[in-house]
Amino acid sequence: MAAPEDAVMWVEKYRPKTLDEVVDLKDIVESLKSFMKNPKIMPHLLLAGIPGTGKTTIALCIARELFGQNWKTFTLELNASDERGIDTVRDRVKDFSRYSRSAFGNVPFALIILDECDQMTGPAQTALRRIMETSSRTSRFILICNQSGKIIEPIQSRCAMFRFSKLDKKAMVDHLCWIAKKENVKLSPEAAESIVEYAEGDLRHAINALQTAAAYKDGVVDEKVVAAVVGEASPMQVQILLRKALYGDFVDARKKMYELIGEFGFSGSEIVRQMQRELFKMSDLKAEQKADLSNIIGEYDYRLTQGANSDIQLSALLAQFAKVGKAQAQGETS
Amino acid sequence: MNENLLWVEKYRPHKIDDVVGNEEAKAALLYWLKSKRRTKKAVLLYGPPGVGKTTLINAAANEFGFTVIEMNASDTRSEKAINAVAGPATSFVALDTFSTKSKGNVLFLDEVDGIAGNEDRGGVGAIIKIVENARIPVIMAANDPDIDKLRPLKKVCALIRFQPVRIPLIISMLQKICQKESVKAEFEALEKIAQNSRGDVRSAINDLQSLAEATKTLTLDDTVTLSLRNKDINLDETLRKYFSVKSLAEASKLLSWSSVDYDELLMSVGDNLPLRYTDPQALAEAYDFLSQADMFRGRIGTENWHLLKYFFNCLVLAAAVSPDTYQPFKLISPPIRIITLFWTKGKRTMLEGICGKIGVRCHVSRATAKQDFVPFLKMLLADQKSSDLISWLELQPEEVDFLMNMKKP
Repeated sequence: MAAPEDAVMWVEKYRPKTLDEVVDLKDIVESLKSFMKNPKIMPHLLLAGIPGTGKTTIALCIARELFGQNWKTFTLELNASDERGIDTVRDRVKDFSRYSRSAFGNVPFALIILDECDQMTGPAQTALRRIMETSSRTSRFILICNQSGKIIEPIQSRCAMFRFSKLDKKAMVDHLCWIAKKENVKLSPEAAESIVEYAEGDLRHAINALQTAAAYKDGVVDEKVVAAVVGEASPMQVQILLRKALYGDFVDARKKMYELIGEFGFSGSEIVRQMQRELFKMSDLKAEQKADLSNIIGEYDYRLTQGANSDIQLSALLAQFAKVGKAQAQGETS
Repeated sequence: MNENLLWVEKYRPHKIDDVVGNEEAKAALLYWLKSKRRTKKAVLLYGPPGVGKTTLINAAANEFGFTVIEMNASDTRSEKAINAVAGPATSFVALDTFSTKSKGNVLFLDEVDGIAGNEDRGGVGAIIKIVENARIPVIMAANDPDIDKLRPLKKVCALIRFQPVRIPLIISMLQKICQKESVKAEFEALEKIAQNSRGDVRSAINDLQSLAEATKTLTLDDTVTLSLRNKDINLDETLRKYFSVKSLAEASKLLSWSSVDYDELLMSVGDNLPLRYTDPQALAEAYDFLSQADMFRGRIGTENWHLLKYFFNCLVLAAAVSPDTYQPFKLISPPIRIITLFWTKGKRTMLEGICGKIGVRCHVSRATAKQDFVPFLKMLLADQKSSDLISWLELQPEEVDFLMNMKKP
């Protein structure tokens, strides 16, 4: 078994091990460092921000800084979207705080990292708040989420919140060049920029794209290679879904939707999010058209959270698209 | 003739002789109706659904000139409700009796085994009271007479048992309908429908209609879907009626009577809407109502059942977007979602497993792994030098194969 130290995916291999190595988050790192000097005063933390901006990395760095080599013994990593329910979370936290030594040197607690908290329902979060309270003597929580608004107030008020915004483009380009150098990859500055452009502030995405591009043509990465890789990796099926719906071909679009649900196991909200992302990449639509369609997506994104059957909401969304598509086609011919 | 009529209604017999099967039961009921001095004032017809209990009573009433005062016991079941409807009818002489046509009233309580649960406490007692005080014959029908709570009824009723209708009788009945509807049907297909119905004439006719009405032909191949939806007959019937409604009132009445599972109904309506509405405008409008219905379903959850009326309301609106455009079509059932998930389970499980492994290594959720890693991984694996990647992620050979061959997400 290969050790994680010999990580093959570059996102892991070059994931910062200490807070000092973290890219472009000076303010956050500075305030966290004061907790590291005196762990006793460290509160629960809530890290909020868009994907790929270093939230998980920071959490893992904190674990390393607090517990050194043995960080895994004192850290429980959970992903809320993977666990089946709040009961599993509660059981695992309970077990963990029972068996782990809840003191290491001058650190009087064990660390629990709970990723993607905003995927939890309201009641589950209420239960989580209770768990945080009952285990607060022995444990500190680092909660990670994309949208802090989806975290209930009582939890927010118990945590010190840190907001992560899109990473600085310049810093990302520099980081990609640094990795390329280490890996003996010839990365042209333009190519680095186009990767960063494509990744939209998501460093994880950027590094994955870089690694794939490097493998694509034996370590030479130029703009062409980047374009090819990015094109290949973009959500193909969702694009087809969008096209079919906008051509007014509702029945086929709905078939595609079931393919995405069935074969790839995408949830309704995942499909909607991808549709939103892909919509803005469609070059043949006018800006106003995109805005109108995006409004429709937004409405049904909301309805998804209210409804009981995501298929119904997705179908309704596609029907709206088909209606708009048909109307536009007629408008153009007449 | 109204083309949108359900065939079960269109071909419901009006004469006793035309009711198929159950000759003994027919004779027993006729004997009871004709006899001047009945030993028991009431009669309970029992047997599986769709074998002709209600039909027989209506046919008999038609021939004998009775006026049937019908009450569906599963609709109004409490003592008060039963008395309110049935009480006057049994103890007063109806005006109709003076007309030359009508030769008296018969009270018919359908689905008396629908009397159930706490809210209906006293329902059975009320029926017994009605039977005891009645001056007119009381006829009851039930699907299952062995339920404990109906036991008291047996003491005051004559019992007539209905059995499933024999298959050859159903086949010849289906053949007659096919002839009248000018449907070209293979005999084997009709045989399959009849066998599948298990003696339930109503479901056989409904199946025939759903399979053959749109195309006017029926082959054995058409019937393969039957076994799958054996249990969904109630759902099918509801859907068929739902899509052919002509008014909001009709639709809401239908839904309040139907007992199908609400989520299954939602999903099936969703599957069939594109067949019902071909105009994109109408389709979008109908789906919008359905989407609102689904939101109410979400708000109802497991406890807020007082919101059910709004759920129904939206569902009704979706059915009545453009009533005049209704054309019979072949229903899709069971729900596409269920079938899709069944056939693709293997693929999904495999992908989930792979994403779990990525998640452990790269500290991400399975969902993130699926979206942000799988597309790149698929490309990386195509590279010759990917063996260390495979061993680092601890991927099995079949998982690697799966990733390489899977469709790009």
